Amino acid sequence: MWERTLQDLIRGLRANKKDESKFIAKAVDEIRNEIKSDDMELKAGAVLKLTYVLVLSQLDMLGYDMGWASFHVVEVMSSPRSHLKSVGYLGAVQSFEQDTDVLMLTTNLLKKDLGSTPSDVAITLNGIAHIVTPDLARDLSPELIGMLNHSRAHIRKRAILALQKVLVKYPDTARHARTRLEEKLEDPDPGVVAATVNVLCELARHNPKEYLSLAPQLFHLLTTSSNNWMLIKIIKLFGSLSPYEPRLVKKLQPPITELISTTAAISLLYECVHTCIIGGMLQGPSGDSLAKLCVSKLAAFVQDTDQNLKYIALLAMTKIVPSHPHLLAEYQDTILASVSDQDVSIRMRALDLVSAMVNRDNLQSIVQQLLSHLVTDPSSSTLPTAAQSLAQHTVPTSPTSAKPQITGHSPAYRLVLSQRILNICSQSTYDNVTNFEWYISVLVDLAHVANVDVGEEIRDQLVDVVGRVRAARRYAVKLMYTLLSDDTMLRNSQDEGSCSEVLWAAAWICGEYCDELAEPQKLLPYILQPEITRLSPEILAVYIQTATKIFGHWAAELAQQWDDSDLQEVKDTVDLILDRVGELISSPYIEVQERAANTVQLFHFIKTDLNGHRPKSSPAASFSAPGPSSSTEHLNDMEPRFPKSLYLIQPLFTTYELGPVALSAQESIYVPEGLDLDAWIVPPPREVAPVEEVGEKKKKSKKGKGKETDGGKVKNTKKKVREDDYGDVLIPLEPDIETPEEIAERAKRKAERLAQLRDDPYYIHDDRPSQPVDVDVDSIPIVRLDDMPSLAAELPNPRVPILKALSRTFSAEPFVIDKQGEMPEGAILKPNMSAPVSRRRTPPASVVSTPPRLSFYPAYEVPDNEVARPSTPDPIKVTRPKKKGTGKKKRTQIATVDNPT
Amino acid sequence: MIHAVLIFNTSGIARLTKYYTPLRQSSQTLVQKIFSLVCSRPAGLCNFLDAPELEAFLGPKTKNGVEERWQVIYRSYATLFFVFVVDGAESELGILDLIQVFVECLDRAFENVCELDLVFHFDEVHHILAEIVQGGLVLETNVEEIDTSVQQASKARKESFVSANPLSLGVGGGLGPRTGNIKTPLGWLTGKLTGVGAR
Repeated sequence: MWERTLQDLIRGLRANKKDESKFIAKAVDEIRNEIKSDDMELKAGAVLKLTYVLVLSQLDMLGYDMGWASFHVVEVMSSPRSHLKSVGYLGAVQSFEQDTDVLMLTTNLLKKDLGSTPSDVAITLNGIAHIVTPDLARDLSPELIGMLNHSRAHIRKRAILALQKVLVKYPDTARHARTRLEEKLEDPDPGVVAATVNVLCELARHNPKEYLSLAPQLFHLLTTSSNNWMLIKIIKLFGSLSPYEPRLVKKLQPPITELISTTAAISLLYECVHTCIIGGMLQGPSGDSLAKLCVSKLAAFVQDTDQNLKYIALLAMTKIVPSHPHLLAEYQDTILASVSDQDVSIRMRALDLVSAMVNRDNLQSIVQQLLSHLVTDPSSSTLPTAAQSLAQHTVPTSPTSAKPQITGHSPAYRLVLSQRILNICSQSTYDNVTNFEWYISVLVDLAHVANVDVGEEIRDQLVDVVGRVRAARRYAVKLMYTLLSDDTMLRNSQDEGSCSEVLWAAAWICGEYCDELAEPQKLLPYILQPEITRLSPEILAVYIQTATKIFGHWAAELAQQWDDSDLQEVKDTVDLILDRVGELISSPYIEVQERAANTVQLFHFIKTDLNGHRPKSSPAASFSAPGPSSSTEHLNDMEPRFPKSLYLIQPLFTTYELGPVALSAQESIYVPEGLDLDAWIVPPPREVAPVEEVGEKKKKSKKGKGKETDGGKVKNTKKKVREDDYGDVLIPLEPDIETPEEIAERAKRKAERLAQLRDDPYYIHDDRPSQPVDVDVDSIPIVRLDDMPSLAAELPNPRVPILKALSRTFSAEPFVIDKQGEMPEGAILKPNMSAPVSRRRTPPASVVSTPPRLSFYPAYEVPDNEVARPSTPDPIKVTRPKKKGTGKKKRTQIATVDNPT
Repeated sequence: MIHAVLIFNTSGIARLTKYYTPLRQSSQTLVQKIFSLVCSRPAGLCNFLDAPELEAFLGPKTKNGVEERWQVIYRSYATLFFVFVVDGAESELGILDLIQVFVECLDRAFENVCELDLVFHFDEVHHILAEIVQGGLVLETNVEEIDTSVQQASKARKESFVSANPLSLGVGGGLGPRTGNIKTPLGWLTGKLTGVGAR
């Protein structure tokens, strides 16, 4: 037999690079035979080879594992020969895990080896440090503690390090080990002292308070030792201790300050600075000068040519920023420069630091700089702002929309960068953003240049900002209009990283705030162009909704200043919507399909009405100047001049204004007295079942173990069900028939419940007379003519190209963030929930008020009295415990779908 | 503590993998990720590997209320990368020095160490590393001390080998640079037949 040695195996592997896995499989087969051999030499060779193969297979995922061989490994470990033993321990260290079962067999072996020759003891201690389990730790700790006084320094060192592992696995040893370990701080051998400090440093990180008593000894070492490696560890150790002992801080300041100023070893210097920061030594008056010293040292590191120093300096600066931001402010330029470093490691740390440094004053410049890193082409690094691209809107493709090419930055880094920009701007509810028009343009720019999948985050922030900051809505609508009318985004929407989700936000904002647009109907061709089918169904659904909103708003506006010449335009628009949305009815996505179908039905109705409209020329005069007092009553009998269906859609969307909902809104709703949220609203079916089956079940009750078969007990149904749940069924012998009172009671409860549900806007009532829109068009009362708006009152302003002219110059109005969000009426604010009120914008009353223009619109006549909806929403009913999600998205849909008027 | 020590060459082939904490579940992909990231870094950058791809692994971990990051610290020597994965208890610059110490020790043991020494004497490399780091804690940082311990240990193994194999002509024990490929008389014969220098 010619066995391969390890060298042969390796040589064979190198010669068979092509089918390595085949070769390994063959080799492992050989090993399987050899490892069972009685020849220990051969067995050890096999273990060694197997260990080697394991390393390979781990990396090439060949899937070999050494589990099956672990018993043989233990056999080799037990060999009396040192060279074989070392092979055995190597195999064990490399392959054993905490749950390897043969470890249970090794206790005595390890004990024996610990009493062997020094070289074997060294091997054993090293092995123990790797493979120790809680059981082994318990059994071996006496031997290990004894080893601490071994005559050889080398063994003492190993024993100390191994003891740390034992302490971690079996903390009960700590009592005995502590004192012996502390003695080792005074060991004559410096290596042993260093090892002890090392172990204490590890242990103190887990449990600093326990080790505070060691401070004097450590302090002595700190002031006397010159071993830098150990000094670093001592300093680190103090870093963990000092937060728990304020006096220590005072004591440490002088020696550490001295070390910082005198030491030549940069690693030690850095460690001192680092410990000062994390150990809380920079607080108080004496800490200030130390803080200055630390920051100046770190700043020198950042400016150093050595990239390593730069990296660690950024790391430490990130930790000092929260307490001493002013000290770092003067180095802001240097720090910002490292965000553009060529090294991704440094960029990552610099990003961390920069995000920690952001405040109101520097946010814009920092974000601008970060954004420029995402811009690909260096020539276009002067990124056209959104406003500029807006100016060039008339040109079909604006420069920003040119598809960015891939840059040197990896996609993962671009993603981090993009998310970081979003985070630093939005942290603590946009606290650092002072100019929201700027921020909205940043978001749009980001969507264009990010080239990674952050579209959803951008979308959410756009909607959030626009919802919270009233003053920015106008600008947002303007920008979103541009975005929607520019089809670059649409064309690229299927590419990865196109951020097409932004179109969701754009469509929603334009729809929701279309009263900012002077000619909203101009947007319809864009959002209904045939190419929109490329978009994802979620976006498509919002597009349909937006088209409806825009038409509703435009039509209502048109109706106020009706001129029969507008009829054709309205008809064309309706046709356009019917045509385009109609195509979407066959969409494979249910949400799109449903919304499209709804919309098409509505517009069919409008179309019919428009076609039936006959221009009336004569009564025009009476309408153009309606008498403010007298004629209003008589208007009821008169037909309006405009097609009544123009007012069909708008009230569906404008009844409530959507506002941000406060985080604590749901939980702070007052629970009405007598309402038990845990009670069943609809009782589970089980409750009814026993009532009907009482007769049959009577026999079954005998099946129980006979305990408590006390049939005479009279129970009501509810109680019985309770018993049912317990398993042993107890059925009363009397047939349980509902008494008339009970029936009456039930009917009463039902009536109550129905009455409650009637007020519930989210509950779909099937018992109410429904008004099918498309059944008989003519019979539907469309407009009630009282309260007609005085048409002369609001003459159209000369229209600006896109936006309505306003008296104010926008952006002059201060940006106010609605940080708090809406709270339900009568909400009980718990004291800790109250957000800072300083920047709160509106009193709650005005938050919930409907837009003022709404009162001009005649309301639809609906048979029951539900129409007279109060202008403020009812407090949310708590009768639906399952109802959750007050998120904006949800609200949108609720508002659009469920407004019954 | 030190969580892992890895050595691999410029083509990404591992020459040593040593884990001090069980990372095995994730180690395969992790090591490959580290390989590819380290290999793609041009010279002159810092010795700390930090990348968005590793953030999940290194990222801030909370331990006893203290937030800390793991670090991947590497150095390259000729065709080899030496990578240490450490936590916040180790000094970053200290580990860089330690890598240097490790390489110096290898150099002393193998006399002008090269990649092939690590290939053919992977067990010896493990023994040397065991004299520097035990169970993730640094045992010794002085090159002289380490060298003495390494020599003592290898001497002990050699003696044990010789006593077990009186015919082995006084060499072997898997030790000694470029002579240790003869383990048994049979192995020695094989070595002769295939050519000792054919490494």
